[in-house]
Amino acid sequence: MFTHVAILLAAMAAAFALAKLAKLSTELSILAMALVGALAAGQGIPLRHLAEGSVAYLDICLIFVTATLFMNVVKEAGGIDYLVRKVFIRFHKRRAVLLVILMLLMLIPGALTGAGSVSVLVVGGTVALVLRGLGLKDEHVAAMVFLLAGLSAVAPPVNIWAMITTAGTAIPYVGFELPLGIPVLALGLFVTFYYGMRGEARDLGSVLATMPEPPAGMRAWRVGAPFLLLAAFIAVPRIWPFALPTLGLPIGFAASGFLAWALSPRKIDILRLSRETMDQLLPLLGTCIIVGILLQVMTLNGVRGLLSLSIISLPTVAIFLLLPVAMPLSEGILTFGGAAVFGIPLIWTLNSIGLNPVPALSGLSLLWMLGDALPPTALIGRLTVQSTGYAGRYWSFVKSCWLPWLVITLTGTLMVVFSKQLGALVL
Amino acid sequence: MTRLIFAKILAACLFLACLVGGGLEMRGLRTYKESLVKGPGVTGTGRLSDYLPALKGSWGDTNLYFLDSGKPGGTALILGGTHPNEPSSIVAAFVLVEQALPEAGKLIVIPHYNRSGSTATQPMGAYPQFISIKTGWGEQKFRMGDRLANPLDQWPDPEVYVHYPSRQMLSNVDMRNVNRTWPGRADGALAERIGAAAMELIRREKVDFVVDTHGAELLYPVTNCIVAPDQGASIAQLAALDLTATEFEVHVEPSPAKFRGVSHREIADHSEAVPFLLESPDPFLDQPTGPKTEALELDGKDEFLLAAARRGLLFTDYDEKGKSMEERAGRHISVSRQLAAQWSLFNPERIVAFSCPGYAEFVANGLGPYFRDPAAAPEGSVVLE
Amino acid sequence: MASVITLLYYALCVYIAAFLALGFARTRDWQKAALQLVVLLPFVLRVLRLK
Repeated sequence: MFTHVAILLAAMAAAFALAKLAKLSTELSILAMALVGALAAGQGIPLRHLAEGSVAYLDICLIFVTATLFMNVVKEAGGIDYLVRKVFIRFHKRRAVLLVILMLLMLIPGALTGAGSVSVLVVGGTVALVLRGLGLKDEHVAAMVFLLAGLSAVAPPVNIWAMITTAGTAIPYVGFELPLGIPVLALGLFVTFYYGMRGEARDLGSVLATMPEPPAGMRAWRVGAPFLLLAAFIAVPRIWPFALPTLGLPIGFAASGFLAWALSPRKIDILRLSRETMDQLLPLLGTCIIVGILLQVMTLNGVRGLLSLSIISLPTVAIFLLLPVAMPLSEGILTFGGAAVFGIPLIWTLNSIGLNPVPALSGLSLLWMLGDALPPTALIGRLTVQSTGYAGRYWSFVKSCWLPWLVITLTGTLMVVFSKQLGALVL
Repeated sequence: MTRLIFAKILAACLFLACLVGGGLEMRGLRTYKESLVKGPGVTGTGRLSDYLPALKGSWGDTNLYFLDSGKPGGTALILGGTHPNEPSSIVAAFVLVEQALPEAGKLIVIPHYNRSGSTATQPMGAYPQFISIKTGWGEQKFRMGDRLANPLDQWPDPEVYVHYPSRQMLSNVDMRNVNRTWPGRADGALAERIGAAAMELIRREKVDFVVDTHGAELLYPVTNCIVAPDQGASIAQLAALDLTATEFEVHVEPSPAKFRGVSHREIADHSEAVPFLLESPDPFLDQPTGPKTEALELDGKDEFLLAAARRGLLFTDYDEKGKSMEERAGRHISVSRQLAAQWSLFNPERIVAFSCPGYAEFVANGLGPYFRDPAAAPEGSVVLE
Repeated sequence: MASVITLLYYALCVYIAAFLALGFARTRDWQKAALQLVVLLPFVLRVLRLK
């Protein structure tokens, strides 16, 4: 079976390469990879499996659509222009304070939802505008937004990688506050000041001159009210979890978007904006759905099992050495699926040699977040490019992440290796 | 232009094929009913909604079977299908309903505790939709479900699941995991209502002990075992000692005080009943396996897992013989019988005793002989599950 | 109340599906058209209560 499944894996990789050579988009190339995986395994075109796999990330797609639509409404209403101006005028002389505010703005949405993409979609564009005003180079702006968005996904209280793994390993999702919170804050500050202190602050007048004017009727409450409503949708189910039925984030974003639309001083054609939003999100939604199909096929033909076995069969030292590469790559290929394929068996394996699963999993999350910049999916990387308006080459911004990348990798790996000693952080 | 139209037509055909072909196949699982023949031990049936009317008409409502000896004693509740992707628990519950004979006290059996979850397979799991066990009269076919309740019955999921009443945060999808929603909420989501109904059943029927049967990964440290809270530790220990000496290895794991929502914790904390959770090793559930086929579920043989076993990565013995459905379902029944025996020693005024083929019989004869032929069953004794 | 929220989610899926279908009909890029349909699939499966 080993040889057979290894051949299937090779066939799938070849299909991806050929599809790319034939100038197919990344999303369709991954789909080709899945179809070849099924065909080569003698499953024909497994209609039910394709349909079933496609549904795997439906809820995440709903968040993407509603969050982006919400932000697009706020942007179209002139709310972003208004907000950026105000923040910049108020804090432009106190760079360090401004940077910390921006960092917190980036960390909060992802921390509350578990999705770094939400941070990018909700505040990434605004933060990017302010950073440009501070004189940061374009690739540094994109790098900072990407890294902070990644860290926001790692931050407590909601860490989807840890949740997927704990749900699959029957470990309660408790005690993660400090093992996740401390490194995220420390690394967040490092990333923020590493990039944030580089630019030459431009003078207020010239920055404001380059910023678009908000519409005449725009006021703080018109921008603030939809965000407050969104905050209520996120906070209320945590403060009074049993008072209301499950609302879910998409409804929160949809309701806030509706409010932003109603309060907009400009008339917004919501149908046109919805169409544009769907267009903007198509590659991202396609990636999520096709990765679900790919994972289903990989399970169907045994490739998932082979990959999983390969990792856990290694000697412990080799596992530690491989983590910095394998974990980001698994995220780059499978997005959150990497946590299911590798996280679950890894945590059991590490647990069996006496390591503490909570700091270990926290460390793994730091490694997984980096993978969101890696192809083929590059989920947050691509969104960052989209939201920040970065026009340079994709790899230039990824390259400019090198030092924080190294520091985050070291932190994550050491947290896994020394997870037993870090057990005191688990309260 | 022609190329574009051609590509669009081709894509539309594939789309429709997936929608219709895949959709119908999934619909087939959702609507398939298993046949169960009430055995001579069954003295009554009921529905979970009898204990919580809010469940009536929902996919969370499910059948209960009463096996009353008519002799004084205690009451045991046996749950099958808490996680429908661990089908040995459902198979064991079916055999109990068809074959068990109560000798003292009363048994209540629920074959599909999570009926909703038994109507859909797991996205990305690539499960077979059904498993079939060969019998002398044909095949006994079972739905292969998901670990969680079907999202068609409970949607949306929260960003994070806050467990009632402890407020412990759990993975968001665990809000559809009926072994994370104990003790439940009568006005909560479907999975929480199932928990609340079961707690009401436990109280109203004066259940003395609950056996919640599961399958577990071989890479999972909590496998091959009985999980018990302090109240049941001695009973579980004695049952494990007896079985390890006579039939198969089984050990006891204490129920962690901090792990909320699970049957072995919440039933103990919120009722007079003593819960036991049984884990039998199911290779199908492990991540490092070959394709997830019906054969893997039935015989439990897998080369990848064998390689993992040789490298000392598994928490239970594993060899070329695999871990068959016969062994796994048999373990559930034999451990349940043994728990009843030990319970009765500790509680002579609340004895529960029953006979039923278990591990030894299934391993020797296969499971086939222990399913009754619905076509030959007396009128009124066939139930569609 | 819970069923109203669930209904809103179905409505949201219908809304999204409509734009995807429209996008499929309008686009002149065959790759984009194919991707529109792949993305449409889970939304329609949910709306039809097949998955």
